[in-house]
Amino acid sequence: MVLSATTDGGERKIRRNGSFGYVVPALLLIAFFFIIPVLMLLMRSVLEPTPGLQNYQELLGSTTYLRVFLNTFTVAGLVTVVAVVIGFPVAWLLAIMPDKWSRLVMAIIVLSMWTNLLARTYAWMVLLQRTGVVNKMLMSLGIIDKPLALVNNLVGVTIGMTYIMLPFVILPLIGILKAIDPAILRAAALCGANKRQCFTRVLLPLSLPGIASGALMVFVMSLGYYVTPALLGGTSNMMLAELVAQFVQSLVNWGMGGAAALVLLLVTMVLYAIQLKFLNPNRAR
Amino acid sequence: MKKQTIIAVLAATVAFAGQAYAADMVFTSWGGTTQDAQKQHWADTFSAEGGVNVTQDGPTDYGKLKAMVESKNVAWDVVDVEGDYAVQAGNAGLLEKLDFSIIDKTKLDPRFVTDYSVGSFYYSFVIGCNKDAVDACPQSWADLFDLAKFPGKRTFYKWSAPGVIEAALLADGVPADKLYPLDLDRAFKKLDTIKSEIVWWDSGAQSQQLLASAEAPFGSFWNGRLTALAQTGVTVETSWTNNITAADALVVPKGTKNKEAAMKFIANATSDKAQAEFATMTGYAPINTDSPKLMDEDLRKTLPDQQAETQVNADMSYWAAHRDEIGTRWYAWQAK
Repeated sequence: MVLSATTDGGERKIRRNGSFGYVVPALLLIAFFFIIPVLMLLMRSVLEPTPGLQNYQELLGSTTYLRVFLNTFTVAGLVTVVAVVIGFPVAWLLAIMPDKWSRLVMAIIVLSMWTNLLARTYAWMVLLQRTGVVNKMLMSLGIIDKPLALVNNLVGVTIGMTYIMLPFVILPLIGILKAIDPAILRAAALCGANKRQCFTRVLLPLSLPGIASGALMVFVMSLGYYVTPALLGGTSNMMLAELVAQFVQSLVNWGMGGAAALVLLLVTMVLYAIQLKFLNPNRAR
Repeated sequence: MKKQTIIAVLAATVAFAGQAYAADMVFTSWGGTTQDAQKQHWADTFSAEGGVNVTQDGPTDYGKLKAMVESKNVAWDVVDVEGDYAVQAGNAGLLEKLDFSIIDKTKLDPRFVTDYSVGSFYYSFVIGCNKDAVDACPQSWADLFDLAKFPGKRTFYKWSAPGVIEAALLADGVPADKLYPLDLDRAFKKLDTIKSEIVWWDSGAQSQQLLASAEAPFGSFWNGRLTALAQTGVTVETSWTNNITAADALVVPKGTKNKEAAMKFIANATSDKAQAEFATMTGYAPINTDSPKLMDEDLRKTLPDQQAETQVNADMSYWAAHRDEIGTRWYAWQAK
C-alpha cells in the first residue's frame, strides 16, 4: 500500500476506460474459493449441532478458551514489539546504505522469505532445544551452566515468529525512511539536538506511519499463525489457529471450529478497519 | 471467442482430471516411514497384481474426510485412521460397510474387526528411553510419572487418543482390568503432577527427534518408532511393562467411486504376506493371525503381540463412545 499509491488522475483514467473488467476473474476466484466457503463454515457455527448461539456461548464463556484468546494476543503483541525494535535499525541502515549494498542485504532478507516455512521452523527447533546449538554454545562459553528453556514455550514461539515476520516490518519501513530528507536530521543537529533528540523528536515521528503499518501487518498475520506456534510453543501457549485446527481436524466439531474462526476473522477485520481509517499513508502525506 | 476457448480448455482439464481419478484409487495414511511401508508392501503389490494404480495421499485428516463425504466428492478410497475414530465414524454414517465376501475376515484378529473397519496394524504405547543420555531408565508408567526419581523432560502424544490417560491411571495405581470406564478426574490430577515437565510430540517423526536429541530423554512412544530409531544407532531402551495397545484401522469413506477396488485393496493389505512384510519393516504387529509364522523369529520377539503378559488393550468402543467428551476436556486441560 505504501509503495503503490496511485494518483487520483490515474484512477479516473482507469475508470473511464472501463478496465474494471480485468479484475473480475480475481474477484470471482475470491468469491468462489474463499468468501463462499468461509460463509458456509460460519453458517455451521450457528447451525451445528442445533441452530442457536450455543457455540459462541461456550467459546466466550469458558476460561480455557478465553485463555487461548489471551495467548493469541500476547504472542502477536510480543512478536510485533520485538520485530519493530529489531527491524527499525535494519530498515534505517538499508535506507541510508549505498544502493548496491542495500540491494544485497535486501536480497538476503527476501531470500529468507522464499525458504520453506516448515524447514525454517524445524531449524529453529534444532537450534533452540536444550541440547541445541545455542544452549551448547552458551554453556561452553561458561555463560550458563544449565540449558535454558528456549523452545516449547513462549520464548520459542516469539523467536521463531519474530524471525518470520521481520521482513514485513522492514520492507514497508524502508520506503518511509528513504522518503525522509537527511537534511532534516542535519538541521536538527545544527539546531542543537543531540543524537537521542534527533531520533525521538525527528526521525521517529516522521517514520511513524511506516512503523504503524508494518506493526499492524505483523500483528494481524501473527494472530492467525499456525505452524510455528504449534511446533515451537507448548500447549499452554496455544493460539487460536491451533484451537480451530483441533476442533476441525481432531474433534470434528465444525460448529465450534467455525465459531472460533469467525471470532478470529472479526478481530482481524476490526484491526484492518482501524488501519484503513487512521493509518492511511496517502492521507498522512 | 477467447472466452469459449478458455472454457473449452477448462472443461477438458476437468474431464481429464476426472478420468485420471476414475482409473486410479487413492490410499491415504499418516505419512513418514509407516506410509512408505504401506506403499511398498500393500499398494505396490496390489498394483502389480491387479493393474489398479494406487495414488498415495496424506496425512489423514478427519475434517477432510467428513467434508468429502458430506459434499459427495470423495477423493479418498481407503483411509488409515485410528481405531476409535473408525468405530465412531462408522456409527456416524461416514463410512461404507466393508464387503467381507472380498475381504477374508476369518484370518483377522477379531479385536480389530467391525462392520465398517478392519485393523490396519496394531501398535503399543511403550516407555522409551535414550540410554546414552541418562543413567537410569524408567521401567513402568509409575516411574515415568515420578519426577523425584526421574527428573527432567518427558514426552507424550499430544492429540486426544487412547494411551496417555490410561498410562496416567496405571501410574496412579489403577489395576489394568479396572481402567474402564476411565476415571478422568483422577487421570488429569495425575497428569497435573508432571505437566510442567511434559513436551508433547504431535508426529512420530517428532517423537524420534525429541528422544534422539535427548530434548526429552524418555517418554511414551509408538513401539515401531523406537525400533526404527534403534536402527539408526541411537541406544534405545524399551520397557514393555503395561504396554498399551491400540490399532489403526482401514476404512472406506461413504460414496467412494472405486468401492470394489477399495475392498480388493483392503483384502490385499490385510493378507498374511502383506501384513508380515509390513510388520517386518515397521516393527508394528500384524493383524492377520497367519502372518507371524511368515516372519523372522528374532524379529517377531520385538513385536507387541509377543508382549502380552502385562499388556493393556485400550478399549476402542469405550473411546468411540466418549471420544468427543474426552477430547474437549483433554485440549482444555492442555491449554490451561
